[in-house]
Amino acid sequence: MDFLRPTHWRDALDAKAHHPDATPIAGGTDVMVEINFGRRRPSTLLDLTGVPELTDWSLDDGRLRIGAGVPYARLIDELGDRLPGLAIASRTVGSPQIRNRGTLGGNLASASPAGDGHPPLLASDAEVEVQSLRGTRTVPVGEFFTGVKRHVLADDELIAAVHVAPATGAQQFSKIGTRNAMVIAVCTFAVALHPEQQRVGTGLGSAAPTPRPATEAAEFLAAELTDTDQWNRPRPLPESVVRRFGELVAATTAPIDDVRGTANYRTHAMAVMARRTLGWVWNEHRTGRQQCA
Amino acid sequence: MTSQVTPYAIGTALQRLDGRSKVTGTAPYAFERVVDNATYLHPVQATIALGQITAIDTAEAEALDGVITILTHVNAPRLASTEDRELAVLQTDRVSFRGQLIGAVIADTPETARQAAGLVRISYAQWPHEAELSSERSDLYTPEAVNPSFPADTDEGDVDTAMSAAPVTLDTTYTTPLEYNNPMEPHTTVALWNDHELTLYDSTQGAHTVRTTVAPVIGLDPERIHVSAPHVGGGFGSKGIPHAHIVLAALAARTVEGRPVKFALTRQQMFSLAGHRTPTIQRVRLAADTDGRLSALAHDVVEWTSKVKEFAEQTAVPSRNVYAAPNRRTSHRLAALDVPVPSWMRAPGECPGMFGPEVAVDEMALKCGIDPVEFRARNEPDVDPETGKPFSSRHLVECLREGADRFGWHHRDPTPASRTERGWLVGTGVASSIYPTLRAVSTATIRVEAADHYRVDIGATDIGTGTWTALTQIAADALEVPVGHVDLRIGETAQPEASVAGGSTGNATWGTAIVEAARALQDTHGRPPEIGAEASGTTPNNPETERFAMFAHGAQFAEVRVHADTGEIRVPRMLGVFAAGRIINPRTAHSQFIGGMTMGLSMALHEVGVLDTRFGHVVNHDFAEYHIPTNADVGDIDATWIDEDDPYVNPMGAKGIGEIGIVGAAAAIANAAHHATGIRLRELPITPDALLR
Ligand SMILES: Cc1cc2nc3c(=O)[nH]c(=O)nc-3n(C[C@H](O)[C@H](O)[C@H](O)COP(=O)(O)OP(=O)(O)OC[C@H]3O[C@@H](n4cnc5c(N)ncnc54)[C@H](O)[C@@H]3O)c2cc1C
Repeated sequence: MDFLRPTHWRDALDAKAHHPDATPIAGGTDVMVEINFGRRRPSTLLDLTGVPELTDWSLDDGRLRIGAGVPYARLIDELGDRLPGLAIASRTVGSPQIRNRGTLGGNLASASPAGDGHPPLLASDAEVEVQSLRGTRTVPVGEFFTGVKRHVLADDELIAAVHVAPATGAQQFSKIGTRNAMVIAVCTFAVALHPEQQRVGTGLGSAAPTPRPATEAAEFLAAELTDTDQWNRPRPLPESVVRRFGELVAATTAPIDDVRGTANYRTHAMAVMARRTLGWVWNEHRTGRQQCA
Repeated sequence: MTSQVTPYAIGTALQRLDGRSKVTGTAPYAFERVVDNATYLHPVQATIALGQITAIDTAEAEALDGVITILTHVNAPRLASTEDRELAVLQTDRVSFRGQLIGAVIADTPETARQAAGLVRISYAQWPHEAELSSERSDLYTPEAVNPSFPADTDEGDVDTAMSAAPVTLDTTYTTPLEYNNPMEPHTTVALWNDHELTLYDSTQGAHTVRTTVAPVIGLDPERIHVSAPHVGGGFGSKGIPHAHIVLAALAARTVEGRPVKFALTRQQMFSLAGHRTPTIQRVRLAADTDGRLSALAHDVVEWTSKVKEFAEQTAVPSRNVYAAPNRRTSHRLAALDVPVPSWMRAPGECPGMFGPEVAVDEMALKCGIDPVEFRARNEPDVDPETGKPFSSRHLVECLREGADRFGWHHRDPTPASRTERGWLVGTGVASSIYPTLRAVSTATIRVEAADHYRVDIGATDIGTGTWTALTQIAADALEVPVGHVDLRIGETAQPEASVAGGSTGNATWGTAIVEAARALQDTHGRPPEIGAEASGTTPNNPETERFAMFAHGAQFAEVRVHADTGEIRVPRMLGVFAAGRIINPRTAHSQFIGGMTMGLSMALHEVGVLDTRFGHVVNHDFAEYHIPTNADVGDIDATWIDEDDPYVNPMGAKGIGEIGIVGAAAAIANAAHHATGIRLRELPITPDALLR
């Protein structure tokens, strides 16, 4: 097995171009598990942890650019105020060790239907910045996943960063697992309010082959809030609206039965989490105080 | 009455004597033994559940740099005895379960051994296998005895007639799943064969057990086998009966004579090679009058064993001793399947066997409209229902009542699903625990090295339970000296023969041997004995067992919260109250109790081996998918005990406590979940989807 360890981003892209079969490795919390279990035998490992550009984040033109190599622990500590939804999700990932090692880029590229980073990125309309020697493109996160553990990256491409706007409204994330920590999600749901655009963002995890937004639910809620002029003058939400939101979210799922839970349970739980998190964000929107589970 | 040791050190919360060496990493575990010129073994395992090996191609593996040799059934040394088919490794081309040891690579590094093992090509003739347990199987059979030597069936009175005569009856089936012991330290062995002597540094619950088990298999005089296990990182029964990997390591060591062979099972390998708890299907029938007095109790169990070797878990046995019921029936039926060999797992028998009946009793109490604590008290027997002997001591009802007081049971509205707090349904549940008080035979030697230095030797084991500390306390009191004067040595076959750390018999057995040795020392050498004096003592038969039935008892209480909308389940609070004779060391005892209860919580909510019956392997064979609780799942778990004076069990008046903590814990949680939600859970583990209406 060859082991490549570039120390500049440019060299990393160069290496990937010349070794299209190379497996990038960032925190290694997915790659090493796969190697350990014999599911993967890469001919070449491309270690990205020596590339300083990947571990930076910056705020340009009102948008955050988060390097693919930023680990969960730093998303929580350094960006928790600007990206509360992503921070809540990050806190549910694995254990302290995993949160120190595991990165957002790795989570995206693993493209697991259960990746906890994906729903909040969907809810915030994040974009994935993809680079190769051929150039740079940005892919809306909703178009990044093409199937279970599959994505749009070409053989010579690497994820450089994620672009996402800092929160302008309340954000929440909810996860159900078969135990209380160190657990792969049975299902997850993220919601974000974007009051300045009078829009609602959503993201579902572990409820379909790929993470996906609940577009109809989000549009229904946004229209409802706009029609009743609640963005600026919020009142308690009618029960019927909360229920409908939950139903529309549940209708977006295409889950399976597995050892963690049944498809029916997932669909049911998704409606519950949608109502639950909507309750939290709406309360925060009205009172300015964040709620926690 | 057994003459009692006056407790002085006994009963004090002495800190673990091995604690410092453990937390500083200097306590040697088996695999860490520093040996010269080590080789490493990686096994080759069968990838089919049943069949025959037709060809083995080791060429590619042998070509790897650093591979010393590869053993298969073709070239492995012949064993002296293949009677124990679990241990008869590499003796035939037959594959009897998926994951079976069918080869071994010995190499200079663990990485090379592992890589080479992956390069060994095996061809099989595959035969149809059977791995599906069901109570409908036509081939269920009655074992001659259940673990270790109880009758498989008992029948007293007439259950059927009592069932048809009683105003309140219950006939329900409960199940517990395939479960794995999963001690933190995997099974590891370092084997060195030199000039007809075999040395094993092994992670085992009994150094002497390994010696006496391995000796006839490999055909060595037991005196030529030296086993060392001073520190063991947990066993929970899986290191009690020596498993095949030890024999494989011994064969490998013989092959590379003079060089030590290091062999550590991976977590995944442990799922096919280190034993497991059979799934159980338990039909429970109860009959009672409207006052809740049981007239009949029947417990009929279906479970599995391996075709390779029979292990019959004694699941229905606790039903013979817990409650008074004149008409009583228990039975065990086994399906022999093409699965790995089941074995002991913490409280074999009592642990699964107190799930079904203790949930059934909760159901019955509700049917009779009687509080579950009171229902149990009403069925308290005067004498052991099975033998008719009085109990040497029994405080089950006291445990239940004390627990109820401490837990706040009396404020409880018995109506299920009657309490909601911020979207969470809240309930409480109770269950009884019972565990037999047994002892085995061991020998201890004490030698006076100096006026303040008593060396105590006994080949006992500390599997993390606190043996180093507790036996030192017992020896100090037996010798009537401060603990600082006792120099205990355990964990080696070089020490006098001692029994396995199993069946919660350790302290009772080893402690009694030490007391006997101390008495012999004082009897022959006076008080204080002169320097250089030495004496031995052996655990005698306890004549009191003719007169008395001996058990430890306990009561388990749990609070459960179930989210009304998602079925998420939390256990914020558990309390165990036990009556287990004299507690030798409250600190280590508390850890044993709450550790057992935590394992019971794990059984209730998490543990299940998902067997893919098509291929005969467990899909979730690692800690990523075979869940045990995390810290965030464990709430406020506490244990306490009732001071129990029992002069009949042994000179310390102590009953075993290593296992009773797990007994009944899962039932208490299932009962609490019912109280919270009104949903009766008869199948473990309890998952959120089961708690949604
Ligand atoms: C014990 C444990 C618990 C876990 N718990 C959770 C959990 O709760 N929630 C959750 O979502 N995940 C969890 N995971 C999975 C894992 O930690 C996350 O998916 C993590 O984000 C992966 O990041 P990494 O940096 O470690 O990725 P790596 O393992 O280094 O890489 C993952 C994948 O991404 C590719 N890759 C990495 N960086 C790039 C890049 N810049 N460009 C292109 N491809 C790249 C790799 O080739 C690989 O395919 C857990 C893992 C473990 C071992």
